[in-house]
Amino acid sequence: MMNPSLLQALDFIKANQNPDGGWGYRPGGESLVEPTAFSLLALSSRGDKTAVGRGLDFLKTCVKDSGAVGIHPRDPEGSWMAYAALLAFHALGAAAEERRLKDWILGFEDASGHFTPDDIKAISTVYRYDASIRGWPWTSNTTGWVEPTALFIIALVRAGTPPSQDRVRSGVSLILNRKVPSGGWNFGNPFSKSYELEATVMSTALALAALGAAGVPESRPAVGEGIRYLARGLAGDVSTASLAWTLLALRSYPAGAAQARAVAARLAGLQATDGSFRRNLFETALASLVLDDGGALLQASRRSG
Amino acid sequence: MNGKAMTRRDLIRALATAAVTTLPAAAFGAGRGQSGKRPAFGPLLQVALVPCPDYDPGRLVEAINAGWRSTRPPDVRGKRVVIKPNIADFSAERPIHTDARLVEALILHLKTLKAREIILAEGPPHNRDTEWLFRKSGFEALAKRQGVVLIDLNYDDISPVKCVNPQATLLKELYLPKTVLSADVIISVPKMKTHRLAGITLSMKNMFGILPGIKYGWPKNTLHYNGIPLSICEINGTLKTHYSIIDGVVGMEGYGPLLGTARKAGVLVMGDNALAVDATAARVMGIDPGRVDYLAMAHKIKLGSLRREDIAVAGEKIEKVRVDFVLDPEYSFLRAPKG
Repeated sequence: MMNPSLLQALDFIKANQNPDGGWGYRPGGESLVEPTAFSLLALSSRGDKTAVGRGLDFLKTCVKDSGAVGIHPRDPEGSWMAYAALLAFHALGAAAEERRLKDWILGFEDASGHFTPDDIKAISTVYRYDASIRGWPWTSNTTGWVEPTALFIIALVRAGTPPSQDRVRSGVSLILNRKVPSGGWNFGNPFSKSYELEATVMSTALALAALGAAGVPESRPAVGEGIRYLARGLAGDVSTASLAWTLLALRSYPAGAAQARAVAARLAGLQATDGSFRRNLFETALASLVLDDGGALLQASRRSG
Repeated sequence: MNGKAMTRRDLIRALATAAVTTLPAAAFGAGRGQSGKRPAFGPLLQVALVPCPDYDPGRLVEAINAGWRSTRPPDVRGKRVVIKPNIADFSAERPIHTDARLVEALILHLKTLKAREIILAEGPPHNRDTEWLFRKSGFEALAKRQGVVLIDLNYDDISPVKCVNPQATLLKELYLPKTVLSADVIISVPKMKTHRLAGITLSMKNMFGILPGIKYGWPKNTLHYNGIPLSICEINGTLKTHYSIIDGVVGMEGYGPLLGTARKAGVLVMGDNALAVDATAARVMGIDPGRVDYLAMAHKIKLGSLRREDIAVAGEKIEKVRVDFVLDPEYSFLRAPKG
C-alpha cells in the first residue's frame, strides 16, 4: 500500500493534467513527452484509469509514421524523449506503439558512424574516448552521449530487449568507455586535452542505472568506482532529480543498498507541502516512482541487476 | 596523448564533422529581431568601457549606472525584461559563470528604472542538472532575495521561429523558449572568456544558451554540427539582444570556457549592439575581433560592426585597460598587435 506522501504526490500530478491529456514540466506548461510518460507511469500504479487513458491518448498522438516519438505531437522528428514514451507504452500495454517505437529506437542513428578514421583519431587525442563506439544521441544527426545512451538502455531493457542485443551492448560499451578515470561519469567527455573533466552525480547515477539494467556486475571496476563517486557526491549539494536517479542506481546493485536507504529518506524530505517535488511534474513523478518500491522503473534494474 | 599536435581546424572538424556548412554570409539578410527591426545605429555604435575593479555591490551599481547612461540602453520602464547570464557550469576554483553579484546589481538598476517584470533565464549547455547549477552559482539565492523568477530555458515551453536565414542550413527554424520570445527586452550578461572552439565567448556566443536542451540536446550538438560561427549568427540574427553587459571584472583566459584560469580585467563592457560590445571586449582581451570567425561573419552580414571607426567607446580607453588574455596555442593567431 502506498504511503500518504506518495499519494499526495500523485494527487499533485493528477491535478495538473492538461486539457489535452498530457503534462508539462511545470503546472500549466506545454504537454511534452517526458513529463507525460512519467506522470502516466506514476499514476498507473494507483490504477487511475481515466487520467491514464487521456494521457496515453496524448502520448499516442506523439507517434510518427516511422514509429518515432519526438518531444511533443508537433515535433517533426523523433528524439531522446522517446525513451520515456517506450517506458510508458510498455507499462500501459500499448503493444503496437511499443513495438514500433522500440524498432525506431534501435535504429536511431548515432552520427558518430559518419566519423572518418581521422575524426576518431582526433577525438581520441583530445577527449580520450573511442568515438567509433555507438550509443544514442539526444537528437537526430548528432553523436552519442552518456545520458541519452543510459536512458535508452534503461527503457529498452525494461521493455524486454535483451541486454545481449547488439545496440544495447554497444551502448554499454560506450558508457564504460566514457568513464572519468577518477570515478563516475559526466555528460560524455572524460578529458579535454590534458584536463580530466569532473564527473557529475546525475550522469553517474544514470550510467550506473543503465549498467545495472543491462546486467553489468558490480565486480566491474567502473561500477564500484561509480558507486564510490556517488557516495562522495552525496556528501555535498545534490539536486532533486539527481537524488532520484541516484536512488535508482544504488538499488541496482547490492553494494548500493546501504546508501540507498539514506538517499530515499533524503529525497522524501524534499517533498513540498503540496505533494510535489519543486512543482516539477517530471521530478514529482520520477521521485514517486523511485520512492515506491514497486515502481516500474525499479523492476527493470532489479530483474537484471 | 599520442603526441600529434591537434590543429584547431582538426578539432573543430572532428566535433562538427562533415556537417559544418560553408554557407556564404551573403545568404543572410540583415539581422532582425523578434520585435521586427533593429534600431537605427546612427553614425556610431556606442559602447561603454567602465572600470570596475571588484564585485563590491555598491561599485557594481555605480558602474552599471555609468555605462547605462553613456550608451543607448533600451527603455525598460513597464517592460518584461529577461536577463541571460552565462552559467555554462560551476566550479569552485574557476570563474566559469557570470558573477551573481553583477546580475544582482543589474536587477537593482532595472528596478529603479521601473521594469515591470525581471526574469533570470539560462539553459546550461551540457550539465543537465540546472537545479544544482543555479544553486551553486548563487543564482537561486539571488532570485529569492530579489523576488525575480529564475527559468531553466532547457525545459521551457518552446515555439518554432523561422530562422532569419532561410537557405542551406540545418536550422530552418529555431525552437525558442517562450520566456525569451515573450520578453520586451533581452539583456545578455556573459563572462569575458576564451573559448576552446570559438576563440572567445562574449555576448553573442552567450545566446547559445537560450536554445532549449529538450530540443537541441546537451551539449547543444545541433549547433555544433551547424557550424559554431553560423549558429551564433543565425541565433543573433533571428533574436535581438537589446543590451549587453560583459562581466570582465574577472574573466577566464587560456583553455576556456570551462577549464581556463581566472584573469582580472577590471571592466564592464556595455552597449546595445552585441557585435560592437563583443568587438570592444575582444580588444580589451588583446584579441583582434576581425580574426574571430563568428564576429567577422556577424560583421559581414550586418549585425552591427566590429570596426573601431564605427564604435564610439565611452568611459575608459581600450588601450588603458587592455589585458592580454592568455590564449590557447591553437588560437594564438587571434592576438592583436599592440599599439
